Amino acid sequence: MASAPLQVELTVNGAAQRLAAQPRETLLDALRERLGLTGSKSYCHSGACGACTVLLDGEAVSACSTLIGQVRGRAVTTVEGLSEDGGLHPIQQAFIDNWGFQCGYCTPGMLLLAKSLLDANPAPTDEQIVEHMSGNICRCTGYAGILESVRAAARALRSARD
Amino acid sequence: MRVVGSSPPTLEAEDKVAGRTRYLPDEVVPGMAHAKVLRSPYAHARLVFIDASPARALPGVVCVLTRDEVLADPRVGNLYGYVFRDAPLVAIDRVRYQGDIVAVVVAEDVHTAEEALELIDVEYEELPRLLDAEEAMSPGAPLIHDRMYPIASELHPIEGTNVCHRSTLETGDVERGFAEADAVFEDVYEAPPVQHCALELHAVIADVRDDAMTVRTNCQAPFPLKAELERIFKRPARVIVSYVGGGFGSKSRDRIEAVVAAASNLAKRPVRLVLTQEETFLAGYIRPAFKCWIKTGVTRDGIITARSYRFITDAGAYAITGARSANNTVKVAAGPYRIPNAFVECFAVYTNKPPSAPYRGLPTTQHTMAYETQMDRIADELGIDRVEIRKRNLLKDGDIHITGDLIRSSHVAECLDGAVAALSGPAPAGDEQTLRGRGFGCTIKYTLTPPQPSVESEAAVELGADGRFEVRAATVNIGQGSDTTMAQIAAEALGVGLEQMRVVHSDTALVPPDSSTTASRSTYHMGNAVLDAATRLRAEVLEVASGLLEEEPDALRLDGDGVRLASAPERRVALDELVAANGAPLLQYGQCEVGGEYVDEQGKRYPVASTFWTFAAAGAEVEVSRETGQITLSRVSCAVNVGRAVNPVSVHKQIEGGLGMELGPTLFERLVWDGDGQLLTSSLLDYPLPTMSTMPRYETALVEPGFPGGPYGAKGMGEVGSVVLPAAVLNAVYDATGVRFHSVPLHPEAVLRALEEAGEAANG
Ligand code: FES
Ligand code: FES
Repeated sequence: MASAPLQVELTVNGAAQRLAAQPRETLLDALRERLGLTGSKSYCHSGACGACTVLLDGEAVSACSTLIGQVRGRAVTTVEGLSEDGGLHPIQQAFIDNWGFQCGYCTPGMLLLAKSLLDANPAPTDEQIVEHMSGNICRCTGYAGILESVRAAARALRSARD
Repeated sequence: MRVVGSSPPTLEAEDKVAGRTRYLPDEVVPGMAHAKVLRSPYAHARLVFIDASPARALPGVVCVLTRDEVLADPRVGNLYGYVFRDAPLVAIDRVRYQGDIVAVVVAEDVHTAEEALELIDVEYEELPRLLDAEEAMSPGAPLIHDRMYPIASELHPIEGTNVCHRSTLETGDVERGFAEADAVFEDVYEAPPVQHCALELHAVIADVRDDAMTVRTNCQAPFPLKAELERIFKRPARVIVSYVGGGFGSKSRDRIEAVVAAASNLAKRPVRLVLTQEETFLAGYIRPAFKCWIKTGVTRDGIITARSYRFITDAGAYAITGARSANNTVKVAAGPYRIPNAFVECFAVYTNKPPSAPYRGLPTTQHTMAYETQMDRIADELGIDRVEIRKRNLLKDGDIHITGDLIRSSHVAECLDGAVAALSGPAPAGDEQTLRGRGFGCTIKYTLTPPQPSVESEAAVELGADGRFEVRAATVNIGQGSDTTMAQIAAEALGVGLEQMRVVHSDTALVPPDSSTTASRSTYHMGNAVLDAATRLRAEVLEVASGLLEEEPDALRLDGDGVRLASAPERRVALDELVAANGAPLLQYGQCEVGGEYVDEQGKRYPVASTFWTFAAAGAEVEVSRETGQITLSRVSCAVNVGRAVNPVSVHKQIEGGLGMELGPTLFERLVWDGDGQLLTSSLLDYPLPTMSTMPRYETALVEPGFPGGPYGAKGMGEVGSVVLPAAVLNAVYDATGVRFHSVPLHPEAVLRALEEAGEAANG
């Protein structure tokens, strides 16, 4: 039975949101069902695949394993908010140029996982990329295109900064 | 050629990285209710009693579908299956595997539906269970189905047993072939079931009305599904498939669409079901358990004189796809070799396990594992180089395959050379901690081919009011980039750029029919249909332009966004003006007919056993830890005869993806049931998948001789990348360790044990 709704204020992709959610509701359900942000995907619903990866105050988290109550007052970034100017973010462009996906189902999660890495470490070694990106599953690509995409994105972001 | 042979990113690439692509679980239909499935907790039981009234009484529950409702509606058939009609929509009198469908609850929201499941009162009486195909085949085994219901004519069940299909293929005289051999080798190989783990979960939104029905699904075969739904529900059906988030065979033929449609029919409103990851493991579809016996006779020089090969696949509780998948590999089970005397025998057997489905190339992968690891053993024991022995036997153009088919574009020896060359450099040496080795293998793959000529794919291309071309093709865009491939083929035929193309895919109300997006068939079949339509459309466009420009069509060129006079390019008509002048869009249809016979230049006739064969070879370089038994795949290579690559980078990436996927079942994936038929590995915690940290370095190569009959010389290759990997890895592991494994996955414990035993044997 429905319990008393929880009032949650948070920022999603830069916009303030106020949600009346069920206490057991996950961040993923709130994003997809209440806010219509279906870019974040779901597979295992248990924190093991990374299809639902979003950024919470810049850190990559599994939205399927994050309860809505845990995100009060915090900032969430989803794939829909990755690019700020309506074009493509350099990481998105790098995934296109380097064939970082096929079916694209893992892609939103991969993009945000990559962003969390590159924000913290603009010049990661291959080992660091592999270690960080191994949290998310892709079933189509065999990962080589994803590795190449993250390398290329790091280069693009660095040269944009210089 | 301008567009074919170039590698643009997929048409949908920007939408995919922006998170805009809508997959089925993202869709919402106004007024829809939500379904949850009550599944059997037992592997095999009689359904004694079921009462859903307490569930129906829960506020928020719309209805509950049980056997009573299905049997009560004369317009709803209760058996599903267009290959084998053996699956009830919901259990009637028995459940046949843990996860079998007992009832469906429809409620206003998913949580209420879940809650209601627990209120359904069910009584089961457990029956003896059969979890192993060999055991299920043994005389006196209890029967899982009372009778057999094959639909496809090529399926041959053995009544009164659990064998839902047995078929054989024979050529020459096998006994004589063995008698002529200098040495005979016999081996047994096994592989356990695994799950496809497509990240997008199976989902259905069904809206069944009295006079029509619409079913949105992420299946791989919309038109056969449409026909099957129309048979069951006796009303016209529209099937809509959007972008699909991977399938690998698991979405090839599912009964879940019919189940949700029955729920919608009862609810009288749209109903949505999205399976959970656990349900996809529990309820199917899975790659079946596999076992084979291979016996090969060879001369001293390593020439194959005879091969007999028997294999059993576990079809699971329903033969919805399993029996046919097994049968589809009979033709390639003996390998890519010249074999004068061969006997192949295939069994698909019912058990109390989830229904099986093809998995990226059917069981061709397991056949390849068997014949290619045995080939290394033969080479080593006869003292012949492992590459050389293959070359002495590999099918060349002009050879006759065991089916009687004339081999026309093999190049498999080139593939083998390619796979070997790609792992160039000195063979890696082992050291104190690590053993290192390399292995190779070759394969041949079949694509679905009818015995008689028939049109299997149709397409349409239209020039619209905006002067752009629209390709309409039923091929399901499952990640393989099919929209782009079709657009490239059409653009090439029309003489325009890719930016002038758009693609409408896989909605049975909008596109012409096609059999399925499986078996690596789309590039060839749909590609040919698109090429045909585009060629006709180009002629029509020139014809219309000829009237407008008052010039002969031959003097005109369709080029860019207009038609112009070749000799005076300033005399042109823009495509949008052309459509306006014509008063309507220009539309042409095309088709691809396959099957029947091939007639060579001398007029000799050969049966076409496979519209095209795909040949490939792969190599693997492994490191084996002496201390832990852990195997690391450091490099893999794969060379494929693709005919001609329409989008070369995309083709390389398909191959990489196949290799990367098959690494899991080769090294660690396996589904395990306990003795009661309870699945022990239903979450990703118990069932790890390959990640970037297990990724090898990929070296892929394309062999492109062009395939006569293929669109611009292309043939299918979507699945072949994965097929040779287990064989190559097992051969590499032998190369490293001196131990021949006969099964996968190569778990560290098993490897360590084998290394210890080998060490003891060597010392003792
Ligand atoms: S869906 Fe959230 S981690 Fe898998
Ligand atoms: S692209 Fe399909 S799962 Fe990664």
